[in-house]
Formats: sequence, C-alpha cells, structure tokens
Amino acid sequence: MAKINPDFAKEIFKYGNTDFQACYNCGNCTAVCSLSDEHNSFPRKMVRASVLGLEKNIQSSLDPWLCYYCGECSTTCPRGANPGELMMSLRRYLTASYDWTGLSKKFYTSKISELIAIFIFSALILVLFIFYHGPMDTTLTEQGGVKLNTFAPWKTIEIGDWIMAGLLSFFLITNVFNMFLKVIIKDKTVKIPLKLYFTELWKLIFHFATQWQFRKCNTKDDKPSDVKKTLTYWIMHWLLMSSYITLFTMIVGFLWWFQTDEIHNWWHPQRLLGYYSTLGLTIGIIYFSINRIKKDIEKSKFSHYTDWTFLVLLFLTTISGILVHLFRINGMPYATYYMYVFHLMVLFPMLMIEVPFSKWSHLAYRPFSIYFNNLKIAARKEE
Amino acid sequence: MKNKIGVYICQCGSNISDYVDVVKVKDAALKVNGVHLAKTTMFACADSTQQEIANDIKEQKLDAIVIASCSPKLHLFTFRNVAIQAGLNPYNYVQVNIREQGSWAHSDNKPKATEKAIQLVLGGIARVKHSKELDMIKIHSENAVAVVGAGVAGMRAALELAEMGSVVHLIEREYFVGGRASQWNVLFTTNETGQQVVSRLYNQIITHPKVTLYTATNIVSKKGSVGDFTLTLKTKPRYINPECKLDLKKFQLAIDKCPIEVNDEFNFGITKRKAIFKNYDSEFPEIPAIDYDACNKCGECAKLCDDIDLNQQPHETTINVGAVLLSTGFNPYEPPVGEFGYGEVDNVITLQQFKRLIELSPEKLIYKGKEIKNIAYIYCVGSRQVDGDNKYCSRYCCTSVIHTAILVKNKYKGIQNFHFNRGIRTYGKQEKLYHEASEQGDIFLQSFEDAPTQVEKVGNETIVKIKDILTANEELEMSANLVVLVTGMVPRENADIVNLLKVPIGRDKFFNEIHPKLRPVETVIDGVLISGACQAPLNITESVKSALAAASKANSLISKGEIELEPTMAMVYNDKCTWCGKCSAACPYDAISIKEYNGKQIAQITEALCKGCGMCLPVCPENAIDLIGYTDKEMESMIEALIS
Repeated sequence: MAKINPDFAKEIFKYGNTDFQACYNCGNCTAVCSLSDEHNSFPRKMVRASVLGLEKNIQSSLDPWLCYYCGECSTTCPRGANPGELMMSLRRYLTASYDWTGLSKKFYTSKISELIAIFIFSALILVLFIFYHGPMDTTLTEQGGVKLNTFAPWKTIEIGDWIMAGLLSFFLITNVFNMFLKVIIKDKTVKIPLKLYFTELWKLIFHFATQWQFRKCNTKDDKPSDVKKTLTYWIMHWLLMSSYITLFTMIVGFLWWFQTDEIHNWWHPQRLLGYYSTLGLTIGIIYFSINRIKKDIEKSKFSHYTDWTFLVLLFLTTISGILVHLFRINGMPYATYYMYVFHLMVLFPMLMIEVPFSKWSHLAYRPFSIYFNNLKIAARKEE
Repeated sequence: MKNKIGVYICQCGSNISDYVDVVKVKDAALKVNGVHLAKTTMFACADSTQQEIANDIKEQKLDAIVIASCSPKLHLFTFRNVAIQAGLNPYNYVQVNIREQGSWAHSDNKPKATEKAIQLVLGGIARVKHSKELDMIKIHSENAVAVVGAGVAGMRAALELAEMGSVVHLIEREYFVGGRASQWNVLFTTNETGQQVVSRLYNQIITHPKVTLYTATNIVSKKGSVGDFTLTLKTKPRYINPECKLDLKKFQLAIDKCPIEVNDEFNFGITKRKAIFKNYDSEFPEIPAIDYDACNKCGECAKLCDDIDLNQQPHETTINVGAVLLSTGFNPYEPPVGEFGYGEVDNVITLQQFKRLIELSPEKLIYKGKEIKNIAYIYCVGSRQVDGDNKYCSRYCCTSVIHTAILVKNKYKGIQNFHFNRGIRTYGKQEKLYHEASEQGDIFLQSFEDAPTQVEKVGNETIVKIKDILTANEELEMSANLVVLVTGMVPRENADIVNLLKVPIGRDKFFNEIHPKLRPVETVIDGVLISGACQAPLNITESVKSALAAASKANSLISKGEIELEPTMAMVYNDKCTWCGKCSAACPYDAISIKEYNGKQIAQITEALCKGCGMCLPVCPENAIDLIGYTDKEMESMIEALIS
C-alpha cells in the first residue's frame, strides 16, 4: 500500500514550475497525446503520481522519456495544469534520481552549486595551463599559422580528453545502469528474455541517431503551420546533435587529425567537418535561444535555469572554438593561446556537468528509454 | 338528462386510428339516444378542431360533449376551456381515453381495440347524460400567513409576504432566530458571514409593522382549512424581562454562576453551555434566554441580575391565518457510531462540528489537545447511501467542504487537506472553489460506493485508506490528525407539525411538493406551502429562491379575500345520514365532521378540506354520501353502458 506524500509536489517544483496540482483527472491530456498508446498511457498517470507523491511509480516509469513535448496536452488542459511542462520537470527529476552521486540533484535544485561546479572545473583547467603549458612561441609556421601544438601539444591534451571521456562514460553508463535497475529489474510484472536485448538493439541505435519520435509529435488534425514547426524543430535538434557528436568524436578520437598546426585547404575534410559542426551548433543555439525568449511554442515557454546554463556554456564553447581557429590561421599567437585556454575552460565544465548530470544526459536516456520500452513490449508479446 | 350531445372521436394522427376503427366508433355513438352529432377528427386538440367544437356547441345548441381521445391528464383542461368559450358548463364535458387505454394497449388486436373503444365511448355518453352544471366553490380567505421557522428562508419569505401586504406571524421554535445560517461563518460568493446575513434580515423584520415574531414557540393545535386556519401557539418563557436593559456584564456573571451545563447544540455538541445562554454576541433577539427544559430554577442567577424573572409562565396565543408556509429547515445527518470510525476513533468529527471548531480556534487548529495538520475529508456520509434510506445527494456538502478546506488552509499554517470523495459536485459558480482548492495543493481521491474509504486506528495513528479509481485502483493511505465526515442533510425533527398539518412526507423523509417541476412549493394540503431545506437539500441561495416562490404563491392564494375550489367533492344526503362516523374515519383530509340536523346527528363536509377523493363513499352503510361530478347515477349508468 502506497502512502500519499503531498510534500513531493514541493520537490517537483524545484525541477520546473507548473500548476500540475490543478489537475482534476479528466484525461484530455492523454487522449490528445499522439505518442501515448495502449502500452504507455501518459501524461495523466504521471500527473496523478506527482500529485500524490508516488515516487516509486515515477522512478520506475519510462513515460517522461517517451514524451517529446509537443505541448498539445498543455494547450488542451481545461485546468491550465501544464502536463507537458510537468513531463519536462519529471525528466529533470529522473535524471537526478538515476544519478547515484547526488550531484545531478544538487545542480538541478541549487543555482549556486552549479555555478561553483563550473567555477571549479574552469579553475582546474586554468591552473593546469598556468603550470604545464608549452612555450608561447610567437614565430609562425611556413603557412603563416600559429604553432598551437607547441603551446598545447595534442598528445598531452589527448590524455586529458581521454581522462575526461572516461569520467563522462563512467558516470553516464552507471547512471543508465541505475535507470535499467529501476525500470527493468524492479518491474516484476515482466521478465525480459536475453535474446530480446540483441534483437531490439537496432532501435537504440536508430533512435539515438535520428530522434525519430519527434516526427510523431504531429497528429493528422494538425494545421500545416504546426506540422512545419515540428519539422523545423526536429531538423534543428538533429543539426545540433550531429554537430556535437562530430566535434566530440574529432576531439576525443582524432585530435591528432583535428588539432593540427598545418593549415589545410578549405575543402579539406578536417576543415569542412569543423565548419559544418560549428555552424550547426551556432544555428542550433540561436534557434533554441530565440524559442526560449519568444516563448511562442509550448515546449519553450518555461525555461529552467539549467536550460540557460547549457545554452550559454555551449555558445561560449562554440564561439571560442571558432575564434581559436580564426586566430590560428591568421597568425595571431597570443590571441590563439588565450582563446584556447578559455575554450577549454568552458568546454570542460560544460561536458563534465551537462553530459552525465544535467540536460545533455538525455542523449543516453532518450534512446535507452525507447530501447527498454520496446524490450518490455516485445517481452509481453512473447508471454 | 342531456339530449343534444356532441361526440368527437380523435384519430390522434394515426396513434388511435391505426388500431381503432374510428368510423365504427362514430357510427356506434350516433345510434345512442340523445346523441345529436358524432364526428371523427384528425387531432381533437388542434386549434382548428377546438374552434369547430366550440362552433358546434354554439350553433347546434349542444348541451353536453364527449371527446374520445387521449388521457384526461393531458387535455381535460384544454377541452373544458373549449366548453367554457362556447358557453357550455365545463362539467358537462366528459373525456374518454381510447389511446392509452385503447389503441396503445391493444395494438395486437385491432377488432377488439375497436370494440373496447366503442364500449368506453358509450360509457362516456351515459355518464355525460347525467352530468350537472357545476360552479367553482368560493370561500373566504384571511390575508395572513403563518411562517414556520425563522431561518434565512423563513425570514426572507416573511419579509416578502409583508411587503406584498399580508400579515405575517413568524414562528420560531428556538430562543433565537437565524437557524443554520447563523452557525456558519464566511459564506461562498459574498464572503459575508451567516451571522451578518441573519442580522440584516432580522433588522428588517423586526421593524416591519406587518410581521410579528414569536420565538421559543411551537404550534400546538390547528383548526380550519385553507383561507381560514386557526392556530394555537405555545410560547416558552425566556425568564428574562423583555424590557430589560442589555447589561451584558451582569448577564455574564449570571452565566458564570449557573450550575447547569448542557451540550451546546449551536456548536453541534463539541462544547458545553449553561442553562442561561446566548450563542453569539450579535444574536437576535438581543436578550439572552434561560433554557426552559434545562433550568432547575435554583435562583442563583436571579440574585445577580434583577432582569431575570423565574416566575414567568408558558403562554398561549391564537392566530388566524389563510395559509401556512413551512420553512423548518434541515438537520445535519448524524452518523451512527462506527460509521467511518465516528464515535469510536477519537479524532473523527462531522463537517458541521468542524466548521464550529474553526470558528472557535483563532490561532492554531487544535482538537482534543492536539494540533491539526493533516485533515481527511470523507464525502457523501449520509448521502447517496447504498444500503440506507438516503439515496439522494445533499447537494451543498461538496461545495461546503471545499470552501471550508480553503478557509482552513488560509487561516492556519501547514494544513494539508485530503478529500476522499465519490465525485465532486461543485455545480455552477461553485466550480471555481474546486479549482482553487486543487491549485492550493489539496489532494482529491475518489472511490466507488462498493469500495468505500476506510478509517482505522493503527497504534496512535488514524489511517485513512482508499482504492483510488483515479490512480488505476491503487490502494493508497495517509495518516490523518483529523477525519471530517462530510455529512449531508436530513429534515429537522418535525413530527408535531406533520401530525397537525398532515404534510405529506416523501420517501426521503423531506416534505413533498405536488409536482417537482410545475408546482414545486405547494403541498396537496391546500394552503400549506413548503420552502427551503425542509423540502429537499438546498443551499442558502436556493432556499431563499424557494422561499420567495412560496411567499408569492401564498400571497396570490389568499390576498384576494376569497379562494376558488373545484366543485368535485363529497355531498351528504342529510335525510339518509344516521352518523355512524365511518366516513369521518375514512377521510384522509379531516374534512368530515358532525353536525345537528332536524334533531339528529349527521355528517358535514368541510368544503375547503374535501379533495373529492371518494374514500368516504364505499364505507357509508346508508349510501348517504355522493360525490359531486361522479354521482352514483353517473357511475352506474356508465357501468351499464360499458357492459351492455
């Protein structure tokens, strides 16, 4: 027998501000949702669980991750209870609840903690550079470029990258495992046959690569302008995601190829990939920032401070990255070196905070939730 | 004997003519002696047909008409009006029902349906032959009304009646006016308190020259009937000089001294009061009262206060009124011991007690020494019962409890409300309260009647459990500091009034109206009207509306000085009657009394009381009573025609 816990609402309010308590259980939100189906009925169930404070029901649920926030539920709600934004808040809450370190909860519920963490990570980078940077060579290469690998040899930086990637992976994978425990292992109503873990694996990869669920946020009754908005959003999101993945891969896996002193021709794949990614990030950041400022689509109406932290850090990283490149190829040694240090001072905290503990963790939770959900559905079918 | 009778056979579109051969019926009618004309018609009730019938009556000088159509329940008065228009006495018209009792009932056998229709029509003709011209009976009416119950409804009705020019006797059983409304604090939509509403009404009533207020007064006897009731009122002494100066300090000394303590009904028993009391400072009438039934006349109070006079005696008053308006209100449902832990678990109270508790607790909400934080409200207690008699919804409680929950949360710190309901019915504007309560974080849980909420004592905790249908039937529980049973309405204890006035009681034990939609404030007892929560669960707004309706209905009934009554009533053949009293015993309306006639005792019918029900006829051994409009002659000739 579950105990009602009204104080839970106060907890949820820290993860996003909605009037979900105004819900009177009409169920319009679930009826109108184009992603809710017979296997996963949401968002009403999650609203109800939040009102009553049934934490276990929420922690074991995949529903928040299966919602792609078209906002139809919020505009339809006769009580203005904002179920869409509650689902968003629950994604933040779940991110915190999967994280065994407790850092995620700290960052999500206290602005100060997040700022301090950013400061510490930045300071760490600064200190490392102050003590261990290479010579600040002002002579230029034959092509007239800055000798960046003298100041910060890629071999040294790569060691740092690997350490960072190791940490990120460790935290993210353990958190995903925690999610797996909560939603699959603790669910005694269904047992997943081992074989399914392999046969359903393509869904994890497919959805990681495409975010195809966004496309299902439309219903056949939607106006053409709404369909266009959803399509634009999906394209922008994909652009941002693919740019990020490309850059991350080049930095962590191929730094020797990416961070060169040689200035390649503009059509060289190194430069083209770099331009694609930085442009993709810039356009994406501008698009999402404008949405959040204009608030004219439902999912951008409410911004948690962590949403802005993420956008600002990403923006600074992107701009400083572009500047490093420009300073380097134009032969401006000091500007290049200082900008490089600044670039790492925002890049490092952004990745360390956002990927395992905050907004960017959804790159794992989203596709994994679809994967886990399909495991359950397939297992039930087999039963 | 009528001998120029017009007979009309209605086809009712095809409702009748599909099964009954109306031409055959017409031909059969034409053969009867005294029938001057017979016609079939597509719709007898159509305007053109009504005109045609009226013309026939005038031009052919018909002395009676029979219309064979639908049930008289539908069109008796339609066709009576046709007769009146054409100058024919309406009682020389008989309606024969060949639809509900003919074509519809026998659609499987057309020849027999036609045969039955013919018999019925012949019966109707036979009856109308013996019909008499009758006129409405007119009786005197007194332009005065007794309003029983000085709650909000009664006071508002009294005021309205007085404004319309009727003399009003406002009779209140308690020592103070205001009824239930004075027990409630802030009321929804206006944010006035119940006591303020009562004060406003009282100040108008007490200064109105046409209203007389009687407090601590019961009706002990009734004579007469509509237009002319004589009521005897018995007033309990207040034991306080009515002209006294209101020295409340002196009274407080007397109250402190009084050795008698009784349950304080004003606070629904959660506190005690003395025999000398006043429920709240601005209560009316201003002077306190000494409880006649509780006081032991020890005289201690009289020593402290000269205005106390324990020698006062009960006294009687006789009043003469044309109508009685009942607004006796409701009682909160009293749960039996054990219902949701009531009387067994120490922190279970009713909504009404809770509302008083809030008013008595200024700073912190404390019950039995413990501070209250978590409150569980259990809805529909005593209403919508599955096993009990109260099948009805009490209507006001959802709104009342949600309103109270909002007040509590605003008044005290750290309150959490849990509403265990069976569906929220905050109809109309009251829906806003429901929204407000949800927004402030109140939790609503819902169950079906087959799996009711449970209240249990587990160790020191009071646990409330529910199978919540809003959470996929999940079993949920919480620990409550206080359980509030949201008890509905039942009628007040009114046996004396019911016996005196013979007011009809419905299955739900509330007073019954004649017709819920068309005659909602009248009872089958002429001159007795009902208003407010004595009739059905109503909120204050609705009570006042019904009070105003009853007031205007009463006024329109009696203010003309005379009342018209149907002439259809019992009649005694004075020579035949030997007074055995059987008719009087059989009469459900007390309309038969005894009188002297030519040196013997005979029965006498009080016209104003007789309803023409006919109960007295079969019991008369001398066949000395006849029913005007349904005389033996009419009925016997009708029966003969039916079986011929």
